[in-house]
Amino acid sequence: MGHKDDNSAELKSPLGDLGVRLFINGIGCISPQRTFDNAEFLPEVKQFETNRLTCIDPDYTKFFDAGSIRRMGRLMKYGTAAGLIALNDAGIKAPGAISTGTGLGLPEISQKFLRSMLEVEETIVSPTAFIQSTHNTVSSNIALLCGCYEHNNTFSHKGFSFESALTDAALLAKEGVDNILVGAYDEVSDYKYAAMRKTTELREEPCNSTELYTDTRGIIAGEGSAFFVLAKEKNEKTYGEFVGNKTFYKPVDSDVALDEIYSFLDAHGLGVADIDLLITGMNGDANSDEFTEDVCEDFFEHTTIAAYKHLCGEYMTSSAFAFWLASQIMKAQQVPDTLIIRKGERAPKNILIYTHHRHNHSLMLFKAC
Amino acid sequence: MEHKIFIAGKGAISAIGNNVAENLASLWALKTGVSKITILPTRYAETLPAAEIKLTNAELAELAGLSKEEPRTALLSMIAAKEALDDANIPDVGKWRTGLISANTVGAMDKTETIYKYFMEDSNTDKLLEEDSYDSGYVTELVADKLGITHHITTISTACSSSANAMAYGARLIKNGMADIIVAGGCDALSKFTLNGFNSLMILDTQPCTPYDDNRKGLNLGEGAGYVVLVSEEVAATLAKKPTAMLSGYANANDAFHQTASSPEGRGNFMAMQGALDMSGLTPDKIDYINLHGTGTPNNDLSEGTAVQRIFSPVPKVSSTKPYTGHTLGACAGIEAVYAILAIENGIVYPNLRLQTKMKELDFMPVTELVENVEVNHVMSNSFGFGGNCSSVIFSKNS
Repeated sequence: MGHKDDNSAELKSPLGDLGVRLFINGIGCISPQRTFDNAEFLPEVKQFETNRLTCIDPDYTKFFDAGSIRRMGRLMKYGTAAGLIALNDAGIKAPGAISTGTGLGLPEISQKFLRSMLEVEETIVSPTAFIQSTHNTVSSNIALLCGCYEHNNTFSHKGFSFESALTDAALLAKEGVDNILVGAYDEVSDYKYAAMRKTTELREEPCNSTELYTDTRGIIAGEGSAFFVLAKEKNEKTYGEFVGNKTFYKPVDSDVALDEIYSFLDAHGLGVADIDLLITGMNGDANSDEFTEDVCEDFFEHTTIAAYKHLCGEYMTSSAFAFWLASQIMKAQQVPDTLIIRKGERAPKNILIYTHHRHNHSLMLFKAC
Repeated sequence: MEHKIFIAGKGAISAIGNNVAENLASLWALKTGVSKITILPTRYAETLPAAEIKLTNAELAELAGLSKEEPRTALLSMIAAKEALDDANIPDVGKWRTGLISANTVGAMDKTETIYKYFMEDSNTDKLLEEDSYDSGYVTELVADKLGITHHITTISTACSSSANAMAYGARLIKNGMADIIVAGGCDALSKFTLNGFNSLMILDTQPCTPYDDNRKGLNLGEGAGYVVLVSEEVAATLAKKPTAMLSGYANANDAFHQTASSPEGRGNFMAMQGALDMSGLTPDKIDYINLHGTGTPNNDLSEGTAVQRIFSPVPKVSSTKPYTGHTLGACAGIEAVYAILAIENGIVYPNLRLQTKMKELDFMPVTELVENVEVNHVMSNSFGFGGNCSSVIFSKNS
C-alpha cells in the first residue's frame, strides 16, 4: 500500500468498471438535526436526551397544499419534501429517473390502517392509510409531483436499501440516464421502537445523544430522509463526486471487512493512505463499535475519523444521512467538530464512508471537486 | 443485443401448484386456484374468494425446509427459489458470483398483524418479534442464507411490479459484469392487511374474477412465489441443459397519474411496453403472446388494453392468467415469467378463464380457449402497480 504525500490520487475507475462519473449536484435532507436548509450546514447540534430521535420538520406548506398535508403520513411528508428540496437545489424540474431505498417502507401509516382494521374487526376501514402503505409511495409521490414518467425503483432491504438505489443509479448513468434522483427514507414507528426496546441493545434513558461514543452502552433509534441529484457533468452547484460504492454481507470479523475495504479502494486506484476523512457507522453498541475501531486502526494518523449516528440515530438507511454529510463536507471543505472522533491533518478531499446496519456493511467513496 | 441473459432455471408456487410441473398441469387443465379462503383467518373467508395455497404454514415449512415460525412469505419464497436453482443445476456453482434479487410487498405481514393485536393491548408485550424480523429484506436474507448466496442480495418493493423490476435489476447486474448468476423473482403471502386494503378500495370481486370482461367487477387476491435463474452467456455455456429462453427486454416507467389508479390512456403502461420492445430490438408484430397484467379491475384493464392497442396492430394472442392464480402482488411478475417461459417451451397460450363479453372500449379480446401447438418465440409480460409503477419484460426462445 503506497503512502502518497500529495492529495491528488487519480481515479482509476470511477464507479467500478462502469466508466461513468457521477457528480452530486443537488441535496435534500430532513433529519433529527436542522438539515432541511441547504444554505447552512449543521448550524447547531441538537442534543437529545432520549433514545428515540425524531425529525425536525420544515414548513410543509412550502411543499404541499393543506389537503395533502392533512392526508399524508409523517414520513410521506418528510420523505417527499427531501426529494423536492434536492431537485430544487439542483435546479431540475423532473429528474431522468428516481431510485430510492427504505428499510421499512411507511410503517406508521401502514400500522394506522392495521390498527383500525383490527379495532373494527375487519368491518369498514378507510382506504386513505392503505393507499400510502406500499414501500414505493414516496418515490412515486415525487414522480407524481414533478411529472417524472421515467424509471422509478424502490429497494427495501435493511442496510442495503439506499446502497442498492446507488447501484441502480450508477447502472442508469451507464445506460445513458442523467440527473438521477436517488435517496432514502425511514421512520421509527411506535411499534418498531417498542420492538427495539424489547429486543435490542437500546441505550437506557436518561442518556445524551452527543455522548454516544464516550460511554459505549447501547444504540439510539433514529430516522430521516436524504435525497441527491446525481449528474454526469459538474456545474457551479456541484458538492463533489460520488466515486462508487460497495456492500458486503455478514463479515465474520474485522479482517474480512478490511479486505473488502482494501479491494474496494484498490479498484478505484486508492489505498487507505489516500483517505483524508473516514466517516464510520459507530453507533454506541459495544460489540459493533469494537469492530469498527479495529477497522479504523488500519487508517493513518493523517486521516480524520468521524462518526455521525449521534446526530440521526440508528436506522436502516442512515447511510443516506452520511452521504449528505459527505456532500456538505466536500463543499465546505471542513469537517464539523461534532463529527470528529480523531482529528487528522488533511483537508477532506477523498472521503470514505464505512457504515453498517447490523450485518449489512456499506462502503461509499467520494472525491471533492 | 450486447449481452444475452439466459434463463437457466425456474421455480413457482401458487394456488394452482406447488412447483412448476403442477402449475403447468393446472394451466393446461384450465384449473383455477380461486376459491373460498380456508387458511387465512379472516372475516371474509366466505365472502371474498382468493387464490390461496391450500397448505398451512407447517406444511409449507416442511416443503421449504424452514421453521414454521417463519413468515409465510419467506416459506413461499424459499420453495420457489430453491426449485429454480435446482432446476438450473449449474455445475460448480460456487465458482460464480451469485446473487438473489427478490421482491415482496408485505414482508412478514402475517406475523405483524397477529402480534400487533397484542401490541395494541400492551406496548410491552412479550410477543414483539425480534427486532429484525418483519421487514421485506428479512425474507430475502433468510432465503439467501439457506441457499448459500452472499454475493449480491437485495429486495425490491414497487408494489405489483416488484418482481419484474427484480428480474430487470438482476439482468443489469449481469450485463455490467457485476454478477454471473442472479436468482430473481418475488413472493407474497395472503394477509388480512392486503385483503382489507384492497377491499377498502372497493376493487375486489366477490366472485371469481373475470379480467377483460365488459362486466368485470374487480380482482381476487392470490399468493405465491416465482423465480427465474438469470445467467450470463459464460455461465450458460457450462450448462448441461441448454437454456430454452432468454430475457430479451425490460423497461420500467411511471404513470405519474394517481397513487392507486392508472391514467385512462395508460401512459406508463405504453412506455413500459414500448421500452421493453425497444431494448429487445423486436417490432410489435414479433410478439406472439402477451401475458397481460389483467387484474380484473375496471381501471387496470381499460388502461392496459388501451395502451396495448396503441402499440400492437393487430393485437397478438393475449390473456391474463390471474383468473388462475389471483393477483399475487409482489410475486405476480415472477410467477408470470415462469408461465411465459412455459408458453415458449410448450408452444401453448393460456386462456383468459371465465371471460365472456368483450370490453366495448377495446377492439380486441383475449383468447378464451387453450391454444396448443403454436410457435411461441417471444412473450411480453406486463406488471403494473400502485404508485404508477409500470414494468414490462420480454422473454424470447433461445434458438
